[in-house]
Amino acid sequence: MSVVQISGLKKYFDAVHAVDGVDLSIQQGEFLVILGPSGCGKTTLMRMIAGLEKPTAGSIHIDGADVTELPPRKRGVSMVFQSYALYPHMNVYNNIAFPLKAQRREKKFDKATMRSKVENIARLLEIDELLDRRPRQLSGGQRQRVAIARAMVTQPAVLLLDEPLSNLDAKLRANARDELKDFQRSSNITAVFVTHDQIEAMGLGDRIVVMEKGKIQQIGTPQRIYDDPANEFVATFLGSPSMNILRAKGHRFGFRPEHFLPKTLQDNPENSVSFHYFVKRVEYLGSDRLVYGYVGGHENELTLAKVPSNIRVSLDIDSEYEFAVHYDDIKYFDEASGERVEAQVAGAAWR
Amino acid sequence: MKLLHLGNFPLDNRRLIGALFLTPALLYIVLLVGFPFVLSIAFGFSDVTVGNTDLSFVGFRNFLAVWENDIFRQVFETTIRFTLISQVFILIFANILAVIFTQEFTGKWFARFVFILPWATPVSLAMIGWLWMLDTKYSPIDYLLLQLGLLGRGGLLSDNRNLFWLAAPDLAQISVIFVQVWRMTPLATVILMAGLSSIPTDILDQAEVDGSRFMRTLLQIKLPLILPIMVIALLFSMITMFGDMTVVYVLTRGGPVDYTRVLGLYSFQVGIEGGNLAQGAAISLFAFPLLLAMAIFMLRTASRAEVR
Repeated sequence: MSVVQISGLKKYFDAVHAVDGVDLSIQQGEFLVILGPSGCGKTTLMRMIAGLEKPTAGSIHIDGADVTELPPRKRGVSMVFQSYALYPHMNVYNNIAFPLKAQRREKKFDKATMRSKVENIARLLEIDELLDRRPRQLSGGQRQRVAIARAMVTQPAVLLLDEPLSNLDAKLRANARDELKDFQRSSNITAVFVTHDQIEAMGLGDRIVVMEKGKIQQIGTPQRIYDDPANEFVATFLGSPSMNILRAKGHRFGFRPEHFLPKTLQDNPENSVSFHYFVKRVEYLGSDRLVYGYVGGHENELTLAKVPSNIRVSLDIDSEYEFAVHYDDIKYFDEASGERVEAQVAGAAWR
Repeated sequence: MKLLHLGNFPLDNRRLIGALFLTPALLYIVLLVGFPFVLSIAFGFSDVTVGNTDLSFVGFRNFLAVWENDIFRQVFETTIRFTLISQVFILIFANILAVIFTQEFTGKWFARFVFILPWATPVSLAMIGWLWMLDTKYSPIDYLLLQLGLLGRGGLLSDNRNLFWLAAPDLAQISVIFVQVWRMTPLATVILMAGLSSIPTDILDQAEVDGSRFMRTLLQIKLPLILPIMVIALLFSMITMFGDMTVVYVLTRGGPVDYTRVLGLYSFQVGIEGGNLAQGAAISLFAFPLLLAMAIFMLRTASRAEVR
């Protein structure tokens, strides 16, 4: 069942088309990640779902009801901001209780119910020891939990998260990601998570929405998005280092650095395309060797190969090697639109 | 390697340029604040008059004489009363106006400009304007009330054709307080507006998503967050008003009788107009410990309320 149904949604700030025609359906209990570079419209899209931004056109339905014109408090959504936006003058208890107090008149619960709701969610997020503290007395990770507790205490239909992990240091972030995913799964809440970090997106998302220039580029599972990109933007935006793109007649084709290996190592050499690869530089990254060079006929196009360190082939600078990519790992893109095309359409006749 | 050699300008000397930058502020403090302050202390402990400028030390004689003077006590009480009452109204109006002016509406720029005018106008000029507005015979306010039938024979407010804004004891006090509020509200408003716009938008967005409506957001989020700034605004306007004499000097000269006589004016009247410099200085010095204590207390409160 879809909890959020977005159709034809647009938001124009004068000449800037922040969100330019988005159709999206978010399922009950799913963890949906909206991924894109900064300025792609992902935050504006989320703010429209929250009701903080009025759409220029289009509609938003939550739980079947049209909420396009409704203020945030009538939508059953809650939100965690990047800064966590904890109320600095209130202790943790009052921060978490604030949405309950604000909606008390409509929902009609007494003080005791309120206290037990706050205490329950605090226990669930393991912050029940901190209820008397002020936000400034908390660590980054604790603040994030308080923000999530405050967002969850009203049992919203949708939980919106705007880059909530980016204020944590790297070590804490991996941990927080795990916890967030566990929490979302066990509470079965529908979560929409906005990020520009593809690792976060791949790790958290049941589905990922890739956005660019106010438009959805692709929606799919992390694996689908990575292995089967809809266009050149998605192909190059995901993956680090990003996909090699080479020009050919009438189209472009690309392959990921980790699929570009010495021919002798390809498990299925007769189903691969071979290239002469000129190695210019090698970086040793521990688990991999990152090789910079170019392939024959594409001297101006930097091409990378990511060779696992346990493959002990010697790769010398300024030497030529026979490298190969499996047919299936080569993606073709239309020269003008950047859309994915089939190999036959691209006219690539490697076989 | 020197790429560019411009020679040794005197202004390249950091010590010199530092001293130059500091000079105006230092001059201001020494000449216009420090020197008069020291002088008034010296005067307060002497028997100097306009006729005899020899300073001979007389200890606390002036202060004791002033303290035992019934007029002084009344003046002191009036000053405190005027200051406190007007601060209440200034705070209320400044908060309301600051909230209005931080919302989006058409004509906001013009409205802001108009509301800042009372503060931007030189006090004496503005007071002459009010002197006309509150004139005993030709007050436009009276005229308006007369046209509305509230004044004149059988009128609701008075059978008389005038209310005597500056001549009736109660009305004169109300008028002075009103004019002070009119004059001081813009500054407090501007300070509060700065405070309101410094609240992170995330916090306000969060409150909105949390379901908070206008009044709850105002009372439970915005006002607590600008409390420190509010205290500063209050301190500014209290100190300005406590020492002010211009308003009453132009409007009422302290009258009728002594009803609107405040400390600044009384000190001026005794010291300059009456020629008793020593007592005038002693009168004005009574405000000092009070204002100092108030400033310390309020600044402490402000820094304690600071949460970010």
